[in-house]
Amino acid sequence: MPKPKNIKREFVPHQAAGRVAMGVATVAGVFSLIVCVLLVTNYLQVRATAPLDNPELLQLRKTLAETPGMDEALVKHIRALDLLSRKAFFTSQAYLRMGGRLLLAGAAVFLVAFRLAARWNPKPPAPQAGPDEGAYWSTIARSKELVSGIAVILVLVSLTAAYLTPSGLPSPAQVSMLSQERGSEAPPSAASVAADFPTWEEMQRQWPSFRGPGGIGVAHYTTAPTQWDADTGTGIRWKVEVPSPGFNSPVVWDDRLFISGATEHVREVYCYDTDTGALLWRQALPPFPGTPEPPPQVSEDTGYAAPTMALHGEYAFVIFGTGDLACFDFDGSLVWGRNIGVPDNHYGHSSSLIALEDKLFVQFDDKRAPRLLALDAATGAEVWVATRKDISWASPACVRTPFGFELILASERDVDAYAPDTGTLLWTQPGLDGEVAPSPTFSGNTVFVANEYAMATAVRLSAPDNAVKSEIAWQWEDSLPEVASPTSSDEYFYIATSMGEVVCLDVERGEMVWTYEFDQGFYSSPIRVGERVYVTDTEGTTHIFGTGPAFELIGAPQLSEPVFATPAYLDGRIYVRTQQHLVCLEENGGN
Amino acid sequence: MKGLKRFVSVLAVLVVFSCDGEAQFRFPMPEFESDYRQPEMYTPPPGRTNDLMDVAVLAGALGVGAWLVLKRRSRPGVFLLTVFSLIYFGFWRQGCVCPIGSMQNVAEGILDANVVVPMAIVAFFLLPLLFALFFGRVFCAGVCPLGALQELVAVRPVALPQAADRVLGLIPYLYLGVTVLSVSTGAGFLICRYDPFVGFFRQGASFNLLMAGGILLLLGLYIGRPYCRYLCPYGVLLGWMSRFAKWHARITPTECIQCRLCEDACPYGAINTPAPEEAPISPREGTRRLGKTLFLAPVIVALGALTGMMAHDVLARLHPTIQLAERVAAEERGYFSDVTLESEAFRASRTTLAELYAAAHAVRADFKRKSPWLGAFLGLVVAWKLVALSIKRKRVDYEVDRVACVSCARCFPYCPVEDEDAKTQKHKA
Amino acid sequence: MSVKGQIGRRDFIRAAAALGIGGGIWKTAAREPGSMVWQLDPQQCVQCGRCATHCVLNPSAVKCVHSYPICGYCDLCGGYLQPGAKKRDTGAENELCPVSAITRTFIEPPFFQYTIDEDLCVGCAKCVKGCGLFGNGSLYLQIKQDLCVHCNECAIARACPAEAFQRIPAEQAYLLKTRPEGGPAQT
Repeated sequence: MPKPKNIKREFVPHQAAGRVAMGVATVAGVFSLIVCVLLVTNYLQVRATAPLDNPELLQLRKTLAETPGMDEALVKHIRALDLLSRKAFFTSQAYLRMGGRLLLAGAAVFLVAFRLAARWNPKPPAPQAGPDEGAYWSTIARSKELVSGIAVILVLVSLTAAYLTPSGLPSPAQVSMLSQERGSEAPPSAASVAADFPTWEEMQRQWPSFRGPGGIGVAHYTTAPTQWDADTGTGIRWKVEVPSPGFNSPVVWDDRLFISGATEHVREVYCYDTDTGALLWRQALPPFPGTPEPPPQVSEDTGYAAPTMALHGEYAFVIFGTGDLACFDFDGSLVWGRNIGVPDNHYGHSSSLIALEDKLFVQFDDKRAPRLLALDAATGAEVWVATRKDISWASPACVRTPFGFELILASERDVDAYAPDTGTLLWTQPGLDGEVAPSPTFSGNTVFVANEYAMATAVRLSAPDNAVKSEIAWQWEDSLPEVASPTSSDEYFYIATSMGEVVCLDVERGEMVWTYEFDQGFYSSPIRVGERVYVTDTEGTTHIFGTGPAFELIGAPQLSEPVFATPAYLDGRIYVRTQQHLVCLEENGGN
Repeated sequence: MKGLKRFVSVLAVLVVFSCDGEAQFRFPMPEFESDYRQPEMYTPPPGRTNDLMDVAVLAGALGVGAWLVLKRRSRPGVFLLTVFSLIYFGFWRQGCVCPIGSMQNVAEGILDANVVVPMAIVAFFLLPLLFALFFGRVFCAGVCPLGALQELVAVRPVALPQAADRVLGLIPYLYLGVTVLSVSTGAGFLICRYDPFVGFFRQGASFNLLMAGGILLLLGLYIGRPYCRYLCPYGVLLGWMSRFAKWHARITPTECIQCRLCEDACPYGAINTPAPEEAPISPREGTRRLGKTLFLAPVIVALGALTGMMAHDVLARLHPTIQLAERVAAEERGYFSDVTLESEAFRASRTTLAELYAAAHAVRADFKRKSPWLGAFLGLVVAWKLVALSIKRKRVDYEVDRVACVSCARCFPYCPVEDEDAKTQKHKA
Repeated sequence: MSVKGQIGRRDFIRAAAALGIGGGIWKTAAREPGSMVWQLDPQQCVQCGRCATHCVLNPSAVKCVHSYPICGYCDLCGGYLQPGAKKRDTGAENELCPVSAITRTFIEPPFFQYTIDEDLCVGCAKCVKGCGLFGNGSLYLQIKQDLCVHCNECAIARACPAEAFQRIPAEQAYLLKTRPEGGPAQT
């Protein structure tokens, strides 16, 4: 074997220099290691404490927000803690940057020194005697075995992984079943339940939703008491305290009355006996998947229980500000429930629920994607979704026009009608503006909407060529409601404003028939009961007047408590939710 | 719902002035009485993105690399080029976009007609491959910032057993296959996501990736170029090109004298030793075994395809839609009491559950179509390796393995044979 | 097999490979190429806070920007003040921004200007949420293109639960909210 004559430059050793280099490399290596450990520790610490989201600080801020007045000590504490947190954050950031640079420099020095050490302590080529033929063949044999072995292992691992981690994805066919499984222990089949749902005529005799059947502010019954007195108890059948707050109005089905109430921590449904006022049951909603924790911030004028419940045969539907939507049977068991999310708007869930046939309708006014959902009332499964253009605080009304059922929704610009079966937009007319809270009403073939700072608009429906046509019949711009929704009789629309004004407008031409100014403003909506219109002002006085062409005050009995909700009017009785109480009024009730 | 608007009523007047349905714009623009002027918004333009300057530097570096390796046969020269590339492509240009990652953009551009791939990225993908086709993997030698970093830290590399080297060398094929599958199904760019070194260049990355990068570098002190050899999917393509390189780096400048001095020179296992003339088995037996392997090859490929299809569910979890859908499905079934940001955002969106599941099923069907190809590709790789191992080589000299060699020039100093041309030139000087 | 034959075969394969790559690439890049950059659409943003934590940079390249033309210059600013703040001043107990990156300047009664200090901003979107809930939405997040390192796959884009990130042409590198002259606010 020929030997190289002289050793190449690359392989000349410099042992002394090599030792020095190795020493430098060791020092630099140790330094880098220390920096590295410090960096990791700092990182983990910061991640664990998250100074910018310091829970203690958040808690203190919350406490401060909840304490009335200024707690100077608390403020001082917050400031100190805040300063500490910011310091911790910025110092750690500076440390990380600095440490990164130090580490880079240390590693570079280490690398250069280590390379030099290697260079000055080279391993010159030192071949062993004679090539090893046996090793060549055994390596090839081993390689073959290993490659095949690895291939087999890969196959086995893939198959095992596929077998052990079955997909949790439901098949398309299972999706609808899934939503049923969420229901009670014995979920009734959709078909049988659908058959059990009440008809339109049955619903008329109840008070199944906000502002009565169909949500247009007209009672089916024609009798209601006209006299009561909170001080003497005259005309008061029963009166109970409401357990938790909510702006929602009572709804009644036969002998059951429902309201909901919620605070930040609890969301409850209450069921009362309409004859005695006894609380039959109360049920708190369990958290559903997606229920926000902590609950979303809501305006104190919305609260967590603004939407009124809807009743439908044996089912009570409820929705809360957290987006929790649930269905209970009349015995208080949860039939189904889910979280549909919190709409992105500045007031939260405020629109009430309404049901028709086998569907429950939810106005979900997210400002980026406002929509109307139709859910299967028996299961909560989505049936259709209609896209809306704008949002509003108002609630849907469900009316039977001469041309079929229509869902009427107000939005910030328009009034829209949807087909309850399919969600198709039937017609849309401009005529609103601003932030709309009053919901629509309806008379004969005319839809009526109104909002303060905008106008009132009457939309007339006709079907000249068997196709439903809508047109703006007239508009009114003077006294307009801010919160209370209008009501209607066959000839007139009635508006009640927050200034205490009541206006009667002619359905046909929109001319003002009469107007009257009360002392207090109205948030609770007027309701027509037969030949009379009832409207309760914010102080709790109910003004009763006739539906005739001239203003005729029939009575003004008092409850002497703030009232914001709209009462329920059923055969000879009125159920009022005041700020604190639930009151049943009856002609010969009480003493 | 009554009395909700009390607080708004104060602002309602303002709202009316804005006459505006967009709930976000609640307040009108104030009309200032003083001569206040609104400040300009500060929207600085992007700094240099991947432009043609980088392409020029890349081409130049590749050219210099080829010249240093093939013409000058200069290990120090290659080393300096490595340092330059690390500084320029690594720390200066912060490692993005690199040819390794550009692979995914190009794959996406080919598979999806709607995606436009900028010229610079295409050039980044193409140039190293073209150079490999003519000069070998000079890109790996001294231009790739990831290779450069590892080359610099490979101080005391030890050779791994050849068999282990071969087996670990299969991983890049797997990585390549999964990457292409991921791009073609829209599941994202895996190479960029799991680039272990780019974090050092940017001085920032997720903690786990930085740790992984650090460990790979420490490992790289003793095991040469672990990422290049056992992970890099682009290396697979470069290897394919390099196999047919017109001029490839050679250990000896002229003729091998069988001195065996270079035997341990390559830390990357890229020197093939001469094949013994006599095999332990008879030529007939050798041919029979080769025939058997060749016959088995289609079976292996088919088995691979079958496995790929069986595993499509698992692979589909690479896709964010599947991850979301499975999470939401599990939440719906009550397996979790909490929600993730994703599932929360989904519930707040206007997409329905049914739509999500439908989308997930579509993604899964896509995976079902494509996963068998991944399996077949991997089967083909295994079959090819086995066939290559069964072929009896005729090799008398110590030669570089053109596929594995990264043209780093480390073996050059080990060869005692003097380059005659270089010598004459020196004499002339 | 002769040496010559082998070289011929290699040459052929090489030429074929070169042509193949070239053709494929040409097809891909023949259309108008232009640099693309990442940006986030403020309309889709859900203010989850991941922009602050998932960027490869620390602090993040995502910062809060302020569209002055749509700002209401409110005294009671939802982006500046803690919800339920007792006073409208710079006290830490009232300020919403965890790093105090928003400066409040009095302009004239009753208007205040709010300015973002980008060196401090971490992109946590707390103010964005506040401004969106109770204000005009003039505070929102954007990727600052001078800070962005233009990753091939943006780490925040992957983590974004609202799919708000997209690639847009580098010439128009921001997705800004604007209010057209005279007309109602639009984006």
